[in-house]
Amino acid sequence: MKRRKFLKDVTVGSLLFNIRPGLFAQTSLPDLAVIQGESPAQLAKEAVSAVGGINRFVSKGDKVVLKPNIGWDRKPEQGACTNPEIVKTLVELCFNAGAKEVKVMDNPCNPARRTYVRSGIAKAAKEAGAKVPFCSQHKLKKVDLHGEWLKNWEVFTDFLETDKIINIPATKNHSLSRVTLGMKNWLGCLGGNRNQLHQNLDAAVIDLAAFFKPVLTVLDAYRVLWRNGPQGGRLSDVRIHKTVVAGVDYVAVDSMGVSYLDIEPEKMRYLQLARERGFGEFDQEKLKIEKRTV
Amino acid sequence: MKKEQSKKYRLIQYLRILSQTVFLFLFFYLLFQTRFPGEDYIGNVEIFFHFNPLLALTTLLASHTLFLSFSMAAITIVVTFIIGRVACGWICPMGTIQQFFSFVFKKSKLLRPKKQKDNHTAWKYYILLFTLAGSLFSLNVAGLLDPFSLLYRSFITGIMPAANHLFSNVIGLVYSAHLSSIGDGLVQFFETIDINSIFIQGFFLGMIFLGVILLNLARERFWCRYLCPLGAFLGLLSRWNILKLRIDMDKCIKCNLCTIQCETQANPYPEEDWKSSECVYCFTCSAICPTGAIGFHPALNPEHLESINLSRRKVLLSSFLGLIAIPFFRISPLRSRASEKLIRPPGALPEKEFLQKCVKCGECMKVCPTNAIQPARTEAGPEGLWTPMLVPKIGYCDYYCSLCTQVCPTGAIRELTIEEKNQIKIGTAWIDKNRCLPYKFGNSCIVCEEHCPVSPKAIQMIEVETHLPDGTIKRPKAPFIDIEACTGCGICENKCPVVDRPAIYITSVGESRSEKNQFILDINKEIY
Repeated sequence: MKRRKFLKDVTVGSLLFNIRPGLFAQTSLPDLAVIQGESPAQLAKEAVSAVGGINRFVSKGDKVVLKPNIGWDRKPEQGACTNPEIVKTLVELCFNAGAKEVKVMDNPCNPARRTYVRSGIAKAAKEAGAKVPFCSQHKLKKVDLHGEWLKNWEVFTDFLETDKIINIPATKNHSLSRVTLGMKNWLGCLGGNRNQLHQNLDAAVIDLAAFFKPVLTVLDAYRVLWRNGPQGGRLSDVRIHKTVVAGVDYVAVDSMGVSYLDIEPEKMRYLQLARERGFGEFDQEKLKIEKRTV
Repeated sequence: MKKEQSKKYRLIQYLRILSQTVFLFLFFYLLFQTRFPGEDYIGNVEIFFHFNPLLALTTLLASHTLFLSFSMAAITIVVTFIIGRVACGWICPMGTIQQFFSFVFKKSKLLRPKKQKDNHTAWKYYILLFTLAGSLFSLNVAGLLDPFSLLYRSFITGIMPAANHLFSNVIGLVYSAHLSSIGDGLVQFFETIDINSIFIQGFFLGMIFLGVILLNLARERFWCRYLCPLGAFLGLLSRWNILKLRIDMDKCIKCNLCTIQCETQANPYPEEDWKSSECVYCFTCSAICPTGAIGFHPALNPEHLESINLSRRKVLLSSFLGLIAIPFFRISPLRSRASEKLIRPPGALPEKEFLQKCVKCGECMKVCPTNAIQPARTEAGPEGLWTPMLVPKIGYCDYYCSLCTQVCPTGAIRELTIEEKNQIKIGTAWIDKNRCLPYKFGNSCIVCEEHCPVSPKAIQMIEVETHLPDGTIKRPKAPFIDIEACTGCGICENKCPVVDRPAIYITSVGESRSEKNQFILDINKEIY
């Protein structure tokens, strides 16, 4: 549990530097914040503040990359991409924390020019002042991912040359990995023939999660695409769940998303593997979860 | 005698250059706007075509249907009737490009085109007659020879992709010089203007246009002078035009400068040899006349057809050739049996009507957001050369896109809303079990299923048994196609990890537009 100890240290450290009465009163932060309510923006805001506030994750002058799921040429109500209001809120939060630059980007499955527009994410993020660049073949770099299975792959350098990276996945059903949440979201940072990764997707997903090391994962479960994933289509493929989950432990965050898709987290092989490798915990008994309705 | 050039015509000449520049920019602007506009419906980016009376006429003749947008062509006809071929000299972007290169070649001493006169200006009339005779019997060859079709097709499939690759190299250099912020800006710019840069025949189509440009080395405005069937058509119409050249013989010093400088061999001097059908009203002669002797004035006398200098024999011959060509174009098995690879864009009319209307302009190829639409080679037979077809290995039909149906200038692809488009089947997906990873090797792979855009998915996963050489049996999930739900969009073929010959592929069978190209009785009968 080195990582958890490290996180604790970081938390304590940031508490010491962040002398604010409200925060000081908190003895220890929750592993997960699960916030329910009506407005996606407010949910995101509350969720981030519940796990320590944005200042815990983003420092003044940071370059931040936000990685939502902008994979498909689908509208927000179809639930195939991250909710644009949640993305916008996170951009605002990052700038509030003094971020120098915020980029919102993804390498989608459908043409980026279409998905960026139809998902509503490009417009929302730009309104909040973020840059929303397209992934360019010119910025692909083959890197050593230090993975157990996935050794080398082409990654867009925007995701590498940044101070902080925040993962903002959507909650979706997916026939092969059964779910597509935070850890699978990293496939959107890759170039090349990434469809080949599906032959050993669980291993790829874990290696990628370990490589990208997000400072924070904010899961959009406002709409849950419970069937016909990962892109859905009919509105009946979507359940309005009105929840946002935030946490540093991305295994824990994903496990919440898994349960929203009516699957027990223990049954997900990739979560098991991730826990074995010490990336996080999904046993809800062992997690400190703050559940609130706003 | 006072030697002084006419200021009035000098001014008109500048106005003409201004007009040409404006329309050339308009052409480029509309061409660049022919892309996903950020919303589902696009404006009239194909408007230039609708002013083209040749395409209007040939499409009308070949398909016996009037496409309403072509009513704009009446404006061109009326204008030409009244004041001659001003459309050629003042508006046509193809003419402007030819004139520009003629000018460049003329100014560079080495490449100067020859000035001598000849009798070959009649060629374009024969080309016109060939085209019209063909279309009278439903063979639409206008698309191969029409200047707008040629211009758009060449830019869309040849010139712009080549330029895009060039700039891509430049961006690579910018990055390797560590100027990444400039590189980022350039990258975003080129991503935004969205030029499709992969075309099967791009090289040849680009070369053809380059050839047309290089012809200007032989004669100025070679295309306009000898080849352009649209120019010929307008030339025929301009016989009765009322704006005629007059030379003030009191001022004329018989220097012949006007005739030497005339770019289209309209022969201003002597006046009675001037051919209004060749004149594009560029006003060069009147502007450069050292004594200002040349002017254009209203007059009612029609031009004699002889001045076009057509030989009756050749007129008959070229019309006859147009008719003779038809059966040759039709020697093709495709008239009796559909081609498996010929996947037409959604909304394409049934093949016969489609070929009558398609002018091979490439607008659909430009606007396609995935670069899927490619100019056909032999897939559609000789008539269908350069007509649009989807090549799923290059791109696929995006589910929420009906842009190609909106930009077709002739209605060969019916205009569709996205809802209408999603009811149309352009082909059917098939699985090659010898190459599909789960079927062949027992590995799991769901890439096609994941990408299938219809809901519920047209690709379902079923458990299959794969026998391995060591006697073990794997039970992976493998794709199974619901042929009724499949629209043939081709994203499965495009994304299949077996890249060289995908294990899932589209063929045209089952396409809504065809009655015959079906494999299950009455499938989709109610749709078309």
